[in-house]
Amino acid sequence: MHASADTIYSSHYVIFDADICTGCANCIKACPTKAIRLYNDNPTCLTDNCIRCGECLRVCPTGAISTTTYELEALQKDKVSITLVSPVLYSQFKGVMPNDILLAVKKIGFHHVMDLSYYIEMFLYAAEEYIAENRTTGQSPWPLISPVCPVVIRLIAYQFPNLLPHLMPIMRPISLLAKEARANISREYRIKKDAVILYHLTPCPAKTVPSRSSFAQENSLVDRTMGIKDVYAQIIGRLNQMKKTGIEALREESEPQKISGNCLLWGLSGGEIAGINSDKTLAVSGLRETITYLEKIELGLFKDIEYIEFRTCPEGCVGGALNAVDKYIAKNTVLKMLRKFGLERLIPRDKVLLLYENGWGLSDTTQDELQRIFGVYKEHISIEHLNEIEKILEQIQGKDCAACGAPDCRTFAEDVVMGKAVLNDCILLRKREIDKILENK
Amino acid sequence: MTAFIKSFSIKKRDFVRAGEASINVQNILKSLNMDHKLIRRIAICGYEGEMNAVMHGGDGILTVEIDTGRIILDIADNGDGIENIELAMQKGYSTATEEHREMGFGAGMGLPNMKVNSDMLSVESEKGKGTHLHMEFYVSTD
Repeated sequence: MHASADTIYSSHYVIFDADICTGCANCIKACPTKAIRLYNDNPTCLTDNCIRCGECLRVCPTGAISTTTYELEALQKDKVSITLVSPVLYSQFKGVMPNDILLAVKKIGFHHVMDLSYYIEMFLYAAEEYIAENRTTGQSPWPLISPVCPVVIRLIAYQFPNLLPHLMPIMRPISLLAKEARANISREYRIKKDAVILYHLTPCPAKTVPSRSSFAQENSLVDRTMGIKDVYAQIIGRLNQMKKTGIEALREESEPQKISGNCLLWGLSGGEIAGINSDKTLAVSGLRETITYLEKIELGLFKDIEYIEFRTCPEGCVGGALNAVDKYIAKNTVLKMLRKFGLERLIPRDKVLLLYENGWGLSDTTQDELQRIFGVYKEHISIEHLNEIEKILEQIQGKDCAACGAPDCRTFAEDVVMGKAVLNDCILLRKREIDKILENK
Repeated sequence: MTAFIKSFSIKKRDFVRAGEASINVQNILKSLNMDHKLIRRIAICGYEGEMNAVMHGGDGILTVEIDTGRIILDIADNGDGIENIELAMQKGYSTATEEHREMGFGAGMGLPNMKVNSDMLSVESEKGKGTHLHMEFYVSTD
């Protein structure tokens, strides 16, 4: 579903189409923060508990759930529009060279299209430097957690605030690029910085709505985000057009951007740690796995690991809910392209280190800010409530069937105690009542 | 007001499920909006105790008791028991087997870790009969 600019800035991330919804409860059970309920046949998302992971979009069998993305019609009105392209885009077109894809994106109507290669390499250098520094200073606890996946940051701030000090305080590549792009273009065109409109073309369900987080200043830097699947058809159209008119001539028109293998690999789980020179790294992908690992880190495990790359989408960003192509096909495309590109770096290390030493690339969002933004929205219960909840659970003797509209019996009991649901909604309880009546007949 | 009490069973040698009781306790404490640093201390103690029971214990039970000013963790097992408690309290002292060490356990930090992270720890044990750990955590009122 497309939304106007107004609704995009509202807090509603998930939109339900109650007419299509069959009440199957897949999304209710899949939600990691238990934010979805289906009481009285009315699917709702508790916005404050939503971490925008996109899991509900993925599991909905009927397409009743959608998320807001940007309408391209607004493009014509922009004075100068720039699109920052997620490297995952290259994985969506088999056998097409990245620079041709960038050309096609530009033809949709952007003034500039920018690739992330340089900034991914800069991020990798900075990350290596931070890890090396941390070995002597111990300023952050091991294992450091990658700040790249926005869902992980929200998950930690919301559910694992103890782990906030583990987040590596380096700005993610997209933020680094956005900052530079805005400054450079406004200088080039001699216009104000806010007249430059930054778009981000992404597979990431978490980025489509400006989040409450300004981790690594991402919000203030990117103006609008578009899901890859929402412009996929247009890009294919432009690519076909280009083939007809002769792609060679077009290539000569614009300077090709240098694209590195590290950038292509970025979209796969493990693509980040592949570029970091430490042996003590792990790459974990998938939402459930990520949560399991975070729980274990909280119990004090994995202290012998230096850096963990988490991606909540399966297989990494190629598994992003807003991709057009299946994740395994995308993965194959990346791996085959890698044979052409190799993993050589485009920029020399010294250049980045000089910047790093001057504090460049460090995130200025504090842990306290993150916790304030995400951590306070949960409704908290008292010890008396806990006892009541246990009593209800004993009474239900349930099987977490979710037929009531809550993800599991405990959450249902919580809702009952907090006055948000009625005990009678439990079909197991009702069945037992009916059985009793029948017996007494 | 009555305190909240809940027990979880611990299965001996079940390394796959080890830690589940502690994670459950942790989630309950989180729902109560307790200070997250306190929650982490309790979780670490719970986990260390649970691992001890999994490695050396027979089957065991972890019980959590939550009151306004105090949280109690009781971990009881009917396993090997500790021969010399004083020795076991020393950092680095371990009776873990080769198998345990291969899995990354047995650094001899279990009881010392619990001592550091709890406000009160008492250990009762008899060789061959089992071990009973009792830990208390105080909730500061400010």
